[in-house]
Amino acid sequence: MTTTLAPPAPAASEPAARRRSALPALGPGDVAAALVILLLVIAVIAPSLLARADPLSAIGGEALSGPSTAHWLGTDYLGRDVYTRIVHGTRTSLGASAVAVAVGLAGGLALGILSGYLGGWVDAAVSRLIDILLSVPGLLLSMVIIVALGFGAVNAAIAVGISSIASFARVTRSEVLTVRASSYVEAAQHQGSPRWRTLLRHILPNAVGPVVSLIPLQFGGSIVWISSLSFLGFGAVPPHPEWGLLVAEGRQYLLSAPWLLLAPGAVIVITVLSASHLQGVVGRVRRTSA
Amino acid sequence: MPSRLRYVATRVLQAAGVVAATYLLTYLVLFALPGDPVANRLDNPQNPVPPSQARMIIEYYHLDQPVLTQLLITVGRLLRGDLGYSLGTGRSVGDLVVQGLGSTLLLALAALVVAAVIAATVGVLAVFAPWEPVRRLARLVPALSLATPSFLIGLFLLQIFSYQLGWVSSLETEGPVSIILPALTLGIAVSPSITQVLIQGLTEASGRPFVRVLRSRGLTQGRILGRHVLRNGSIPALTLLALTVADLIAGSVIVESVFNRAGLGYVTEQAVRSQDGPIVLAVVLLVSSLYSLVNLVTDLMYPVIDPRISLTESRLGSSRRPDRPALAEGT
Repeated sequence: MTTTLAPPAPAASEPAARRRSALPALGPGDVAAALVILLLVIAVIAPSLLARADPLSAIGGEALSGPSTAHWLGTDYLGRDVYTRIVHGTRTSLGASAVAVAVGLAGGLALGILSGYLGGWVDAAVSRLIDILLSVPGLLLSMVIIVALGFGAVNAAIAVGISSIASFARVTRSEVLTVRASSYVEAAQHQGSPRWRTLLRHILPNAVGPVVSLIPLQFGGSIVWISSLSFLGFGAVPPHPEWGLLVAEGRQYLLSAPWLLLAPGAVIVITVLSASHLQGVVGRVRRTSA
Repeated sequence: MPSRLRYVATRVLQAAGVVAATYLLTYLVLFALPGDPVANRLDNPQNPVPPSQARMIIEYYHLDQPVLTQLLITVGRLLRGDLGYSLGTGRSVGDLVVQGLGSTLLLALAALVVAAVIAATVGVLAVFAPWEPVRRLARLVPALSLATPSFLIGLFLLQIFSYQLGWVSSLETEGPVSIILPALTLGIAVSPSITQVLIQGLTEASGRPFVRVLRSRGLTQGRILGRHVLRNGSIPALTLLALTVADLIAGSVIVESVFNRAGLGYVTEQAVRSQDGPIVLAVVLLVSSLYSLVNLVTDLMYPVIDPRISLTESRLGSSRRPDRPALAEGT
């Protein structure tokens, strides 16, 4: 079952497709998602290539004007170009999500490896910690951490990252447990390979795959979380453009200037859909190459 | 049966342990780390606390004593039902939480119904719709609703039904009508995981041999579906109930903010905004207890719902529970 934009491959025809080529054929959904991701990468690295204007410069006479040739997505309440602000906000939004995923991945890998490899009381303790982290919804947990750390884009990103440690840790732990029981690990141990070497050379490379393929998914989820925190006012600080913040700023003009909300909202949804689509592609590739 | 009783006792203790550990951990994060909210509140240069009040707060929380003493005092008070006082308004945290809880529970209940209806509709369409395009489209729904932040859904519903059509007021809470849009928003927000698990369950159940047996006995497709496949295939979705309840309460923070509803979510939002630690701690305690309680009840009720499973068979109860489904889970 594929719940992304990809045409879901019926289970029956999948082996046939696998026989035809090593890599699955790219559908129109894949191309669209790739295009979106390419645009996002450009917007992060060189936003001025896509939008030359200054995201902070306000044109007094043109406040709240609708979409036009001069302003593709209209202007906000200060006359700032919405398109430019969205493009320049990409770096903050995606950067924050990257920080969140990095924190979650690092913490999750460390905990998962410790617990899966060492076993015993370490495993018991880490498993309970994961239980605890899972018993508090991610949004609430990240708000707790924000209360402790303070507001701001980076703090919101760290908070979301800490909240996602549990899912990374759980996948890592189960993979490490599976790999540790395999015959080649046993063989390595019999040949006298030291524990750390077995861990680094044999267990880690073989266990890391499913954990890595979790990244696009968590990335998409982090975008939604971070934009929610920004929307509530706990993340990025105005006048800096950030997607969730753009929606929050447009909120008062829901009736008179709906594009203030529609444009950044659509960008969030399209970005997350592309990320989750990438997840599907990664899954397909992993399955065909497995 | 003693073994059964022992199993139940173990599960209850386990649940209580998770709640207690969650409380302790949250306490440590909120109060023991440098820059704790009480100190922040007292040292805030923009909004100074009068010295007399500051001394009262310091005395109440015993800030001049080591963390462990503070924790013991707080836990002692908690056991006597005292959740402390809001740092922002000075009101009793217990009162604030109880005041907001009623309206939020009502909202959560309505949203749960919405989510169940969405999941059932989309799930049945995704698995049994006679046309391939409909099945395909239905399978896109969970990913799409996961990708859409709930504040966007809420704002669009407001824009369409309040501003354009004028059906409900966006400013005042007026009777039962005003719960529709928030419940719809919250329901859509929590529905994707239920839908995904339901799709999986229904797909699996419809491929089981008993379906072929029933068909060969001449039962109509509708009867097989309604009486057998749906009942078998929806059991896994039930195990998501605890996660969903916790998500509903957490999601109310955003939904109540969008729709200007006074409830627990609003209280939480204000508490985070003013870094009001005692309130945040109380909300975490509440959500974690609710989660553990619902989890416990669903686990213990499982054999009643599905008599093929016995209680002691699944010692820790976690083997059966599906993971919270991810954004776009492939099978």
